Amino acid sequence: MNSKKDNVGQPILSISEVTKHYPIREGALQRVVGHVRAVDGVSFDIFPGKTVGLVGESGCGKSTLGKVVSGLTDPTSGSVSYNFNNQLVSISNLEKNKFKNFRRNCQMVFQDSFASLNPRHLVCDIVGRPLKVYKEVSGYDLVEKVVSLLNQVGLGREHLYRYPHQFSGGQRQRISIARALALNPEIIILDEPTSALDVSVQAQILNLLNEIQKARNLAYLFVTHDLSVVRHMADSLVVMYLGKIAEAGETQAIFAKPYHPYTKALMDAKPSFDEGQNSKAKGLEGVVPDPARPPQGCRFHTRCSLATDKCGWEVDDVVRWLEDTPGMFESLTAVERKSEFSAVLSFSDESSAANLTQEMRSEKLPTSMRKALNQVKINEKNVQIEFEPVEEILLREKDGRHTACIIEPKN
Amino acid sequence: MWFMQTWIEELLLENKMNERAFDNSHYNGDTAFRVRIRRFGALVGRLCANPTTVIGLIIIGLMMAMAIFAPWITEANVPDPYQMPRDWGAVRKPPGTPGFLLGTTNEGGDVFYGVVWGSRTSLQLSLYVVGSTMIIGTIIGSLAGLLGGWVDEFLMRLVDVFLSIPELIFALAIAAVLGPSFTNIIIALSMVIWVKYARIMRAQVLQVKQNEYVEAAKVIGDTKLNIYLKDILPNAVTPVTVQATLDMGNVVLIGATLSFIGLSEAGIAEWGVLVSEGQAGIASGRWWASTFPGMMIFLWALAFNLVGDGLRDALDPRTEGR
Amino acid sequence: MMLDTSNQKKFVAKVDDLKVYFNSKRGTVHAVDGISFDVYKGETLGLVGETGCGKSVTGRSFLQLLPIPPGVLVGGSIIYNQQNNSSQRFETGSKPGFPNSRNFEFKKVDLLTLTGEEIRKIRGDSIAMIFQDPGKSLNPTLTIGAQLSEVFLQHRTEEILEMAGLGSEASGAIRRFASQRNRIFDKWLVNLSGNRSTKSRVEKAVADLVAKALSDTQVPNPVKLMDRYPHELSGGMKQRVMIAQALACNPDILIADEPTTALDVTVEARILDLIQELQQRRQTSVVYISHDLSLVRRICDRVAVMYAGRIVEIGTNNEIFKNPRHPYTIGLMKALPSADTARGELLAIPGNVPELINPPQMCRFFSRCAFATDKCKNQDPELEKVTNSHSVACFADVAEISGK
Repeated sequence: MNSKKDNVGQPILSISEVTKHYPIREGALQRVVGHVRAVDGVSFDIFPGKTVGLVGESGCGKSTLGKVVSGLTDPTSGSVSYNFNNQLVSISNLEKNKFKNFRRNCQMVFQDSFASLNPRHLVCDIVGRPLKVYKEVSGYDLVEKVVSLLNQVGLGREHLYRYPHQFSGGQRQRISIARALALNPEIIILDEPTSALDVSVQAQILNLLNEIQKARNLAYLFVTHDLSVVRHMADSLVVMYLGKIAEAGETQAIFAKPYHPYTKALMDAKPSFDEGQNSKAKGLEGVVPDPARPPQGCRFHTRCSLATDKCGWEVDDVVRWLEDTPGMFESLTAVERKSEFSAVLSFSDESSAANLTQEMRSEKLPTSMRKALNQVKINEKNVQIEFEPVEEILLREKDGRHTACIIEPKN
Repeated sequence: MWFMQTWIEELLLENKMNERAFDNSHYNGDTAFRVRIRRFGALVGRLCANPTTVIGLIIIGLMMAMAIFAPWITEANVPDPYQMPRDWGAVRKPPGTPGFLLGTTNEGGDVFYGVVWGSRTSLQLSLYVVGSTMIIGTIIGSLAGLLGGWVDEFLMRLVDVFLSIPELIFALAIAAVLGPSFTNIIIALSMVIWVKYARIMRAQVLQVKQNEYVEAAKVIGDTKLNIYLKDILPNAVTPVTVQATLDMGNVVLIGATLSFIGLSEAGIAEWGVLVSEGQAGIASGRWWASTFPGMMIFLWALAFNLVGDGLRDALDPRTEGR
Repeated sequence: MMLDTSNQKKFVAKVDDLKVYFNSKRGTVHAVDGISFDVYKGETLGLVGETGCGKSVTGRSFLQLLPIPPGVLVGGSIIYNQQNNSSQRFETGSKPGFPNSRNFEFKKVDLLTLTGEEIRKIRGDSIAMIFQDPGKSLNPTLTIGAQLSEVFLQHRTEEILEMAGLGSEASGAIRRFASQRNRIFDKWLVNLSGNRSTKSRVEKAVADLVAKALSDTQVPNPVKLMDRYPHELSGGMKQRVMIAQALACNPDILIADEPTTALDVTVEARILDLIQELQQRRQTSVVYISHDLSLVRRICDRVAVMYAGRIVEIGTNNEIFKNPRHPYTIGLMKALPSADTARGELLAIPGNVPELINPPQMCRFFSRCAFATDKCKNQDPELEKVTNSHSVACFADVAEISGK
């Protein structure tokens, strides 16, 4: 999906149409009642020596995607393909040897450096463990190899025989990086590697990561929620919202001019330090919808300030709106859905039903939602509502960027 | 055990490494082996910082010594040393009678002999029961926690069935079915107690396997067995150790109860049996035949409980290594 | 923002040489080691610093919320200047003849020396606090409404009785019920048929107050929210509830301990807007504790930069961020990734925060400072005024530093 023209050669890792659904089970028989769509059809490529930034808010599926890419969990559908000698092969059904090869070449650094280091192991055990697993070296040479790895991340021989809790957060993250480097991988997945660290230490770690990348031509998948960090680190950017890509493209281009309203909202919510005092931060209304029932059309339409009537307004939106309107939700007794876009709402009394119809035709309902309404019919206690059905909004390419939004970016 | 093996490897490595000079002046000469010993020493230090734990340790030490040196303290009874000697010429002697330090029972059994050799029986009982149940419980709990799904469901329902019956009554029922014998008490107790360990271990494994270091080990590509042995088991086993220590005392208590109501062979040198046989005499003033073995049971249970509590505090991750 | 233009700024709280130590096995940790600052009326004071610099400990000291032991209050004082126009501070206002529950005998008090009973009266009333993790600060077994009504019952008894149409002569049981000092006997009395209508009136009054407080925090449908349990709410919503609770009694000071760190950026922006709006409306002083420089830059009037238990620099927002004088402040700002720093060329501060166990008499930033001299090694710099509002604790030639 990455369409940078100057990219010679093949991607090292290709993610195509990856979905990851977690079943929701209920009751004594653990019947599956639905799926949480943590990742829902995501594709992008990672090229050697480049950094892909994966950003989004909590619950957007970025960490799940990181785990799928690293092979920790299998995707529900779609595939992650690794480049074996210029041939992209899906990692899900690999033979043992080849998977081992992938495993060695794709390492991971976790967010919580305390939780990701076994508290009962010494640093030399932790960093030397991958070497032991692949029987690279042993005995005295193992210790020397570990020391050289520690030196690469700015630690030394004196740290060999200490426990993780004897280090500060930044140092522990260095140990994690040393462990990831031990097998000389081609790609490292960095899952929020600096979000638990202080600014001054974060800068140290980011510099270290860059240094290592240059020296070893490593590819990074940098998963984070911090835009200023990703702006500094990533060559290309993938912005996720509710399991889907909202926007993807070159980092600088996206920061210069975000096409997707969500990307814009993310940037407006956290003005960078340079913008100075009293720069206005703009938050988003509402909450992230339940990923088990993602909105139709564009998943962001429920919170989007630019939403139009074509963005996928549906019955759930009316229910959500009712919930937030005092005095209305209480008298709602049933919602009988015919489709995602059409349903009959039953109320306990006729006046509420009348009230709703009135309010739905008034200014109180967001304009774009009102425009999308095909009909509102009142029948005693029941109100029938019908929206214009909308197809799912897919990623479209423009100027080498992919945006999942029907609104044309203004120039 | 696997970690013993690593320790030995490290010890050998240490010797080898000491022959080489290091280039780093900061290096303070630590080796993995020394650091581990120091960590163990720190644990012992924390354990001994608590006076009640020390008292418990001392009592346990004395009891152990008594069990080990029993044949030297009093001469073993022939042919079976675990049977009380019977001297029909000296029945119901009070404590202090020459040759019978703590007096004798109705059948002329030396109470002192019973107390000393009883410690061996108790030690056997607790070691067999706790040892076997700990291993069974750990294995079953780990399987349930690691595999999940229907295996977990099945094993835990089984555990629930066992736990729904009170410990003592269940043990009593099993022992009654198997017939009165000391071995059957061991079997009965083992059948009852393993479920506790399975429960604890399952909960621990479920919790520990959530940790990111388990995922980190998977990313490295380590085998499942190695991940279990290196990452999950050592971090999950602490509460089991504490429970085992507490059970060392509790088992003797329950065992004594079962013996007391006559579920072991008559005439065996066991504290519960002695208490049972001597209790009839208390009313007529012969307090000693019950009191001394009873005190031993009390001390044994107390000591292990003290140490167990101390161990729980010393192993508490919140105090560890801070 | 609410900057007082007159020279005579009125302080609401004055922290003076506050020292809080923690006893640990390895020695005494000097978590907060002699810090002094003022909090002025209506301003937002940012307390910035990295993990372990003592900013949270400072914030918690205001309300005696420190774990003692292992914590030890070694010295210093926090003088709280009670604002005496309390009757106007309720938007509903209270009639004369209803003595306000907030009227204490004291005007200026040292918060550190108050007894448990006295500080309880201040907590949540004149000084309120919101925490980083709203999930942990809410009781999972109570509905939102029930938790919030507790605060109102505790601190706004008079107003509730008034709203319920009860005179100050309202029977003792009702009064005690309202102020939550009820005993079992009172509960029984309140539930007597004669008292039931009065009880329901009190409850209605409380519910109204809670609903109003919640709607102030811009939650949609506050009445419905009151019947919900904390786990049913999103993080942002929980933080709103916490803010409603904290601002319930129009406090003079709101201590915000990283209230948005656990939230998403889009939600964070909304919460900050909310705090600022409420603050401006009510003239509350906010002590905003954060590690996030860009956030502090955005919302604070004055900023105190903390390092290793000390304030190293304090001044107005512009003084700190446009004209920083302490090498640590400069270092922090340069360590932030910005649009034009080349990759891999962030100016990180080398090293780590020093351990605060029995620190030696020297500048604590010495080991990480690029401008350290021998003097810094032998002497501990004090905060010294650069301008009227700007102080810095550094020996180095600040002009020279800024030039570099």
